Amino acid sequence: MTRGTFAYVAQRFVLIALTALVVSSIVFIGVHQLPGNAFLSERQSSPQREAELLHHYGLDKPLPEQYLAWVGGVLHGDLGESLVNRGVRITPLLLRELRVSATLGLFALLFTVVLGMGLGILAATKQNTWIDYAASFGGTVGYSMPNFVTATLLILLTVTGFYAWSGGAFYEDIGWGKPEQVIVPAIALGLYPMAIISRLTRASMLEVIRQDYVRTAWAKGLRPRLVIVRHSLRNALIPVVTILGPITTSVITGSVVIEYIFGIPGLGKEFVNSIFNRDYNIVIGVFTFYAVLVGLANLAVDLVYPLLDPRIRY
Amino acid sequence: MATAPSDYALQEDFVASEQYEVGESVSLWQDTWRRMRRNRLALIATAFVLFVLLVAIVSQFWTPYPIWRQGVGPTYQTPTLKHPLGLDQSGRDILSRLMGGAAISMEVGIGTALLSSVIGIVLGLLAGFYRGWIDSVISLVINVWYGIPDLLVVIMIVVITGRRELLFIIIAISITAWVNMARLVRGQTLSLREREFVEAARSIGTRDFSILFRHIFPNALGPIIVQATYLVPSAIIFEAFLSYLGLGVPPPNPSWGAMTAEGYRSLQYAPHITLIPALALGLTLVALNAFGDGLRDALDPRMRR
Repeated sequence: MTRGTFAYVAQRFVLIALTALVVSSIVFIGVHQLPGNAFLSERQSSPQREAELLHHYGLDKPLPEQYLAWVGGVLHGDLGESLVNRGVRITPLLLRELRVSATLGLFALLFTVVLGMGLGILAATKQNTWIDYAASFGGTVGYSMPNFVTATLLILLTVTGFYAWSGGAFYEDIGWGKPEQVIVPAIALGLYPMAIISRLTRASMLEVIRQDYVRTAWAKGLRPRLVIVRHSLRNALIPVVTILGPITTSVITGSVVIEYIFGIPGLGKEFVNSIFNRDYNIVIGVFTFYAVLVGLANLAVDLVYPLLDPRIRY
Repeated sequence: MATAPSDYALQEDFVASEQYEVGESVSLWQDTWRRMRRNRLALIATAFVLFVLLVAIVSQFWTPYPIWRQGVGPTYQTPTLKHPLGLDQSGRDILSRLMGGAAISMEVGIGTALLSSVIGIVLGLLAGFYRGWIDSVISLVINVWYGIPDLLVVIMIVVITGRRELLFIIIAISITAWVNMARLVRGQTLSLREREFVEAARSIGTRDFSILFRHIFPNALGPIIVQATYLVPSAIIFEAFLSYLGLGVPPPNPSWGAMTAEGYRSLQYAPHITLIPALALGLTLVALNAFGDGLRDALDPRMRR
């Protein structure tokens, strides 16, 4: 770790902190501009009780003071208390849900990277054959389909299709908790990034396999597998790695819908639910959390980058 | 040998510059069209996109049944001759609603592409051309914005403001969608501003505004158009997504996303209610992306091989 790298990482951390600050304050201000509050739905019996509640959450204080108190809490790892379910602390709740979302997300990423790169390499090495065309068209389809459409089609296929076809032997149980329940949502979540990765791998492989050093490798009679994996793929990987940051973002946003559809108790479902319940403390928490997560993912990608390409240094 | 022909070429360019430029810009688009025509997938996609646009326009004047009329036939009915795409859970004609949904999708897609392109192009040009503190500020905004999941921002904007009319949704999506365009235009501008023709324009005293919009912008037009084309499907996805969650244009409006969500409860016994709008959405998006790919390959043949 050189000094340059250190400065770069420090700079990026400042940017991440700034992003979190901007996001949280915008959401904070926006949320508090709203007419009414989360307690309106509870059919208050007395104004006194409402005042008590407002005081309990510190909502009777001026806005800047509230925000400072919130930031102070965050610095101690405390995101506050749920507005709807009183007494529920948000930090442990989100950490619990993060474990669920992370499991789903990692399975989706695994599916994405392995299959996406495989398809990309296959398409590039068989350029202009029907395999290439099929993979490219499949890529466009996967890239274009919104994940709720993919999810709906997959549910239709697994729930009713396979069930009828196997005479009731195959039964897709939508929900969470059993290991087999992760497969279908992970595919639905991973299809879009998979398509991006396969397109990108194909394009960058095509560029690399035309280079002189690859021709030399072929000419000296190296085995095809070595030429593809050691000589071509290593360099073709560089642009693919850069896209992993945005892909993490898309997996995060995708999980919001996928978890909502499949009833998976993760962060994404919490985000949608708390929006509908007007539980703004949770909304701000999840949102800030996501911003930090995306920032860290992008930073991680940038740090892997120079390992693959020694020409790049920070 | 090296100097004489190039000097000669320079002179000839200088003399014929007016005519030459016009001629070339026409042939670029003709060339693009010629290359695009050879790409069968792009051609089919273009035809499909035009078809959806046509349907969207027709739906404003005529649909087989009124879009909002409930109970024009039995609820959950599967496709028949009278209702080629069947009826939904309230007995509304799905074909009519699908046509109305095409209009909403196209309005959101094209509206967002235009609005966010304008924002992105202006900010990108300013950042790339003036550099210095202007670039620092704009780049910082871009970098901060880039690190936030954009779809969630749109959801937040819609929820916080509580406004759900079409124009507002277009604005909400544009607020997040301009970032990629700005990045692209900034990069293009950074390299174009160092080129000789910009220097030449500056040396004869052309004002900055002219240089930006008459010299740099037209030269970056190819990638800008391709990027704007890709903005259309991504905006359509956003709108469908919002509507799917029940945060898009309010319910009686026939948004494809909302239609997909409405049929979700009856997926097991009336899958067509969900399947039809989902497929319409999917096909339209595939066509738009394939059209964008075709345009990109045709405008920049280097990308192809």
